[in-house]
Amino acid sequence: MASTVIAQGMTIEGELTSDEDVVIQGTLRGKLTSKDTVNVESGAVVEADISASSLSVGGQITGNVTASDRVDLMAGGRLIGDVKASRLTIADGASFKGNVDMDV
Amino acid sequence: MADVTVVGQGMFLRGSIRGEGDLEIRGRIEGDVEVAGEVTIGDGALIKADVTARRITVRGAVAGNLTGEEGVRLEDGARVVGDVRGASIGIAEGALLRGNVQTGHGAEGQKGRARTGAAAKPAVRAEPRKAPAVAVTAARGNGAPRRAAAAEPVERAGPPPPVVPALKKGARAALRKRSR
Repeated sequence: MASTVIAQGMTIEGELTSDEDVVIQGTLRGKLTSKDTVNVESGAVVEADISASSLSVGGQITGNVTASDRVDLMAGGRLIGDVKASRLTIADGASFKGNVDMDV
Repeated sequence: MADVTVVGQGMFLRGSIRGEGDLEIRGRIEGDVEVAGEVTIGDGALIKADVTARRITVRGAVAGNLTGEEGVRLEDGARVVGDVRGASIGIAEGALLRGNVQTGHGAEGQKGRARTGAAAKPAVRAEPRKAPAVAVTAARGNGAPRRAAAAEPVERAGPPPPVVPALKKGARAALRKRSR
């Protein structure tokens, strides 16, 4: 089980900082910084800049994302914003609008 | 566990949490918590926020007012500075509380901001009093440091500002008397 969960129906506004993994099923507005994995699950709505070690997107994100390791955009995921990560996968069926910076 | 929101041990939130469902807090929160379900504040949690929920259970540290529509329980290890309101309130042995307590139905209904602020006064006043007193005696006659010391507790959102002048006035009068 993840150490931090934002469940469906819950809205967090503000600045979140975490050393551990975060799972988002609800709504987040503001800014999220995690040293571990961030999982934006389907149904989640995120209007925030996210910085994490790795990020997987099954829900909806509006904001810039930075990952020290990787970003995975899953089918059904929707990302509007720039991505900065050394690895990025975009599954068939995902929507994405933004710039990609893969440190090349 | 589907709709339990968890704020993990390594989490720090500056902002607000609102919504349906239950909430478990093990980390740190500064801001506001307003939840329809149950809130559990675990030991190790550190909260500077007013918490409003159907039910609140506290095992950690809280600076802020607790309003539990159905009830509030302060368990062993709880440290609360702020007012507690709820239909039923339980304080276990080993829990620490500084603030007003109001039980019974309707207690949670009078949740006007102004009222909350007035009720919060004693609890808030108790803490900063020590610090300014020290600062004032150390820097007598110099207004600036005293102001800085007094401004410190204001970081608690909302009600506190009126508390500070009241404190300062008294402190100042006492000081003047002493210096004469």
